[in-house]
Amino acid sequence: MIEYLLLAPVLTGILCFLTKSKKQVETVSLTGSIATLILGLILVKNVYQNNVIISWTNALFADAFSAFIVLIVSIVGFVASIYSIGYMGHEFKHGIMDLRKLKIYYILFHIFMFTMLLVGVTNNLGLWIAIEMTTLVSALLMILHTKKSSVEAAWKYMIICTVGITFALFGTILTYYGAVKILGESGDALNWTSLIAVADQFDPTIMKLAFIFILIGYGTKAGLAPMHTWLPDAHSEAPTPVSALLSGVLLNCAMYGIIRFYTIATKSTGPAFTSNLLIIFGLLSIGIAVPFIILQEDYKRMLAYSSVEHMGIIALGIGFGGALGIFGAILHMFNHAMTKSLMFFGAGNILLKHETKEIDKVSGIMKSMPATGTMLLIGGLAITGSPPFGIFISEFTILSAGFFQGNIISSVLFLLFIIMIFAGFFYNLSKMIFGTPKPGIVPGEVSRWTLGAMVIVAVFVIVLGVYIPSFFYDMIMKVVAVIRVI
Amino acid sequence: MAEVVFGSKIMQLLIAFILVSTFMILGSTRLYSCVRAFGIQSFLLACVAGIVAYSTGKYDIYIVALLTLIIKSAVIPYIFIYIIREIKVKREIELYVNISPSLIIGGTLVVISYYLIRSISIISELSSLALSASMSLVSIGLFIMISRKKALMQMLGILIMENGLFLGAISLTNGMPLLVELGIFFDVLIGVLIMGILIFRINKTFESIDTDLLKNLIG
Repeated sequence: MIEYLLLAPVLTGILCFLTKSKKQVETVSLTGSIATLILGLILVKNVYQNNVIISWTNALFADAFSAFIVLIVSIVGFVASIYSIGYMGHEFKHGIMDLRKLKIYYILFHIFMFTMLLVGVTNNLGLWIAIEMTTLVSALLMILHTKKSSVEAAWKYMIICTVGITFALFGTILTYYGAVKILGESGDALNWTSLIAVADQFDPTIMKLAFIFILIGYGTKAGLAPMHTWLPDAHSEAPTPVSALLSGVLLNCAMYGIIRFYTIATKSTGPAFTSNLLIIFGLLSIGIAVPFIILQEDYKRMLAYSSVEHMGIIALGIGFGGALGIFGAILHMFNHAMTKSLMFFGAGNILLKHETKEIDKVSGIMKSMPATGTMLLIGGLAITGSPPFGIFISEFTILSAGFFQGNIISSVLFLLFIIMIFAGFFYNLSKMIFGTPKPGIVPGEVSRWTLGAMVIVAVFVIVLGVYIPSFFYDMIMKVVAVIRVI
Repeated sequence: MAEVVFGSKIMQLLIAFILVSTFMILGSTRLYSCVRAFGIQSFLLACVAGIVAYSTGKYDIYIVALLTLIIKSAVIPYIFIYIIREIKVKREIELYVNISPSLIIGGTLVVISYYLIRSISIISELSSLALSASMSLVSIGLFIMISRKKALMQMLGILIMENGLFLGAISLTNGMPLLVELGIFFDVLIGVLIMGILIFRINKTFESIDTDLLKNLIG
């Protein structure tokens, strides 16, 4: 089962390589991502019924948490591939892309999907390998355009994330060292399924050290402050559909690594140590985003800083802990993935139309592109945490978990920060959405494809704000059961 | 266990030479000699892995040793030399920190690593020698990355860090499970290739590979 899911994007990538025209490569890519989506949903359904699936002699496995990541990857991947047709098609029409580049783009896109799915379903804590692979592939996607700024962003991304990930490898080695003492030297000693069973016997000193290295390492990749410096560059310079994948999905994959180790480490060190670290890094990330969002001049960078903020919120939710905090964090992962994709898609439409990323040079989107404008407004309200959208619910859950657990100071700070971000973000966004269009801008949407992609994610954003379907609720509760230690 | 092996004279000698090769990189201003020193370092690492494999009799580790020999001490230096030739980069590396302060800082990092590892009482005395060498390699690798201007040297810095971790892993636990070890080799190799592509791209767009020029994206 799991291997078919992994095979689908790889096969699509290979088929994209064999295509001869723009039409063909688009058809193959879209079909491939639909297949990935369907296989992903089947996997989610199977896990929902059987709890755990293991295949390939223990190498691949999926529990509720893996399935949740697979769900996010396949939905956003599917939507981004629809969006790509419109976005890349527009660039193709204007001669920015040629057929060769277009093919490379789609091949890398699907390989990127493969690596992200792999992060979710490896049993081995060598999921390090998969996370490093995501860096490698996405760096190549970034340099598709030979602009100075994108080359610079890709280099910084590559270097900073590789160094970060090297620390995570050290953390993994230490965990293995701890595990070997109990399980003996075997290939299974890094497997999640065997580790979690004996995690409470690990030496706490080693696990503390390991968790610090893991948090710094994967934290770099997840964009937690102060290791986030590469993120605004990379996310703003990548082609827009890729930005959506990077922000919406890849950050979650790195967060997944942290949370997995959090569960193991907490069993051995007790909750105080790991939770406090997560709360500190979480608050720092939210806090650092505040001035950068308020004073931002580039709208894609503003969205990137907002991703730093939201990763901080997820870390904070896990740090607060308890069923409530973890539930909020997991729900937030999903909500953020959907909402941030919506925002990046909208930003991409603006970018295609106005050919600038400066906030001050864009205005009157509501008049020139009414549909994009409306959805950006919805997305903007949602991403800043206003009711009645999904992110409001998850942020509120995390906040109440904070008060409930007695973390009054952190909760108040959290509330203060998100209010400031709301004001700053919305001030900048309204400058672009309202007002009169800039002279020389022809009214009309960019493409039906880009709009269609936005509508799909907008549905998730709106529906999850008013009610959480019972099966979705059950699924998240199962994830909480996997993560929760006490 | 590995501890017995790491107490032996030959092992201590190898680890000392690994440190020496790191200082060769720190103390050189010529790209070629840096790459050569890296090749020697990787070769010594392969020897360490080979001895561990011989004394534990595990085939897994033989494979790892062989891969280290092929990939890290032959293929990767070759890729470096190919890049240097192809983009006709100036052979001298420009520095933010000069050679003599670099060497002093490197020495200090080794001493700090040694005391840091000794202070963690859980790790036994014998493998702590290898572990402190590994820690030194990681920190010196980081230092090289921030103190040299050429993009190629940042790539080399990452590889030195990776070598350090390899030494750490093999001294703590006889290396990771084979599957993980293979995955890491794969990632390192692909990583080097992609960084190579990026360096070509940097050279094409900026007409230089000085990372000095890469500071336009801020705020």
